[in-house]
Amino acid sequence: MSRTQATGSRPGSMSRALARDRLGVPAVLFFVLAGVAPLTVAAGVIPTAYATTGLTGIPAAFLVVAVILAIWASGYVAMTRHIRNAGAFYAFISAGLGRVAGVAAALVALLAYSFLQVGLYGAFGPNAAAEASAHLGLHAAWWAWALGAWAVVTVLGLGRVDITGRVLGVLLCAEIAVTAAETAGGLVHPYGGHLSFATLSPGALTSAGPGTIGVLAVVAVLGFVGFEQAPVLAEEARNSRRTVPVATYVALGLIAVLYAGVSWAMAARTGNGHVVAAAGAQGPGLLFGLGGGGVLSQAAQWLFLTSLFAAALAFHNSVWRYIFALGRENVLPAALGRTGGNNIPKAASLVQSGTGLAVIAGYALAHADPMTSLFFDLGTTGGFGILVLLAVTSVAVIAFFARDWHGENVWRRLVAPALAAVLLGVIVVLAVLHYATLLGVPSGSPAAWALPASYAAVAVAGLGWGLVLKSRRPQVYATIGLGAHAATGQRAPLGPGMLP
Amino acid sequence: MITGLGGTGLIADDLYLMAHHETSGKPFLQPRPLGIGLAGALLAELMLDGHVIVGPDSTVAAGPAVPGDDLTRQVRNQIAGEPEQHLLLQWLLFLGQSAAVGVGRRLERAGYLIPAGRRVRWRAPRWVPADPDWAFAPLLRARPATDPARPLTAHAAILAGLATGCGLQFRLDQYLPAAGRSIEEAVSLLTPDLQQLDGSVQAAVAGAVLAHRT
Repeated sequence: MSRTQATGSRPGSMSRALARDRLGVPAVLFFVLAGVAPLTVAAGVIPTAYATTGLTGIPAAFLVVAVILAIWASGYVAMTRHIRNAGAFYAFISAGLGRVAGVAAALVALLAYSFLQVGLYGAFGPNAAAEASAHLGLHAAWWAWALGAWAVVTVLGLGRVDITGRVLGVLLCAEIAVTAAETAGGLVHPYGGHLSFATLSPGALTSAGPGTIGVLAVVAVLGFVGFEQAPVLAEEARNSRRTVPVATYVALGLIAVLYAGVSWAMAARTGNGHVVAAAGAQGPGLLFGLGGGGVLSQAAQWLFLTSLFAAALAFHNSVWRYIFALGRENVLPAALGRTGGNNIPKAASLVQSGTGLAVIAGYALAHADPMTSLFFDLGTTGGFGILVLLAVTSVAVIAFFARDWHGENVWRRLVAPALAAVLLGVIVVLAVLHYATLLGVPSGSPAAWALPASYAAVAVAGLGWGLVLKSRRPQVYATIGLGAHAATGQRAPLGPGMLP
Repeated sequence: MITGLGGTGLIADDLYLMAHHETSGKPFLQPRPLGIGLAGALLAELMLDGHVIVGPDSTVAAGPAVPGDDLTRQVRNQIAGEPEQHLLLQWLLFLGQSAAVGVGRRLERAGYLIPAGRRVRWRAPRWVPADPDWAFAPLLRARPATDPARPLTAHAAILAGLATGCGLQFRLDQYLPAAGRSIEEAVSLLTPDLQQLDGSVQAAVAGAVLAHRT
């Protein structure tokens, strides 16, 4: 048997060919930002948050949360280099805190991303109905337009995934341009002729009481959801040690500047003391009017609709990725981990489509307000779920590196994740205590405890299922967290491009 | 030149025909999963004859003998020519970039495929099956994998396993009746290195789906 020897000589043709096929920072960054859908947050979340919470510290919250997430990301991207299936929170939690906890985290993540995805139909429906009525003379209920968007997302979700990626990319560029233009328009015409920085100051975070920082943080986290997806492409990256961290931090910075800027512009343009009332009266129009109306405003309104659609599609993809990975591991039925013709994960995609249809129908039959009850309530609850996962992931990072440092320095394996875990944990507790403020409902309202409690319920169910798998199906238990690599059972990434 | 319902006897050839429509030649799979599956099939051909050895740590090394077939000899020599040993997963991704064209040309030389349309230098060649029954026959050759009444061969087991791994489960479900044995059970009867190959193909294809790079 002939054996080639590792001579330390220059890479062979195979290594060079594989390197050419790998992704650099721009491609990974594009993938992350394409799912962020800026106008959904700028025109949807931010005005609704101002109106619902009555709090004006939203711009400051984006900046503070960006700093916390940057600290959090240090440990997160470091651990990415040492585990499989790094695009999923539950993979980190499985590797750090055990597979039973991993199953619980997987179900929490599924619920959170589902909330985020189906909630978007609650914004698309009424805004599409308004645009169609105003410009096309078409009059239909919000749920009819929501079902139309649902149908298109369902069809695209059953199509070639790389085509949907291109659609998202084109929309992203237009949204960033419009958001930046509206921001500039708002800042150059401040209320009273004087540009106020009050909403950017740390004092704005606690102006209504120290506990409200938790409320503001949940809103801000909602804006950042998606930045954590860079590790989905970790095993495709040219240099995982550099590509994933750079893409993650650049995405964080861009998102923070964009959303802090536009929310600040809203308050600066309308006046800090009037922005809450203005948001309640105008809704998304609070953004569309920043630049003074005209072509920019109309473009923003149309792009808002496409942004909502793009976000619904992006989160649809996030949910089926989770379902598909869990199906590959047999944590969920194996049929969900299979693909049909053209390698489309049809079963996983259709499950999420079924969820969306049921929710739209439910809210339509209940005659609930789609913008506040469906979009904002489910959306912020989805953001709360992500916040919980971020905090638990930090603890998982500490536990993982405590067993083996894997050559990572003390900042990445201990200090940063510990700091992030404490800060995020405090925010989670404050958010739970002030959930009624977050939803803009009276204290004691059922939604104020039922929505956050839904995570506790699925977490308990996940812990139970994890224990059942441990005792009754040890082969399945052994591959929890591996995702695509469940078939090989190999826990650690191997080979060039995947190790430092 | 070998023609007819009996096939060429080569795993990659059978997988290629199974992955394309028997009359139009249209692929049932996206390019990357198809390439990974065919790369796995080429490696399986080499492993079955001892021309390539996969260690327990997934490293791939060339065996001493050189195969007679041009395509597999080229693959074996590429493995032998690398300055360092690489992992099975990396070979699947590398060989997958060109496997479809290589196997297609081999089938054309054997008379199972004929060129479709005019050949253009910058476009990948396209083929249509020379005979729809010959193109359909590999599905029948995989039947022993699920039917315990038929003698199971390594060819049938690895063919069915690789077909499932690269996304052709729906074809197997359509034409292979459930007859008492699952494909997983058939694969489990293969040698450990071939089971590793099957698992690696599944992992590579699933990874491509999750990363939206099919």
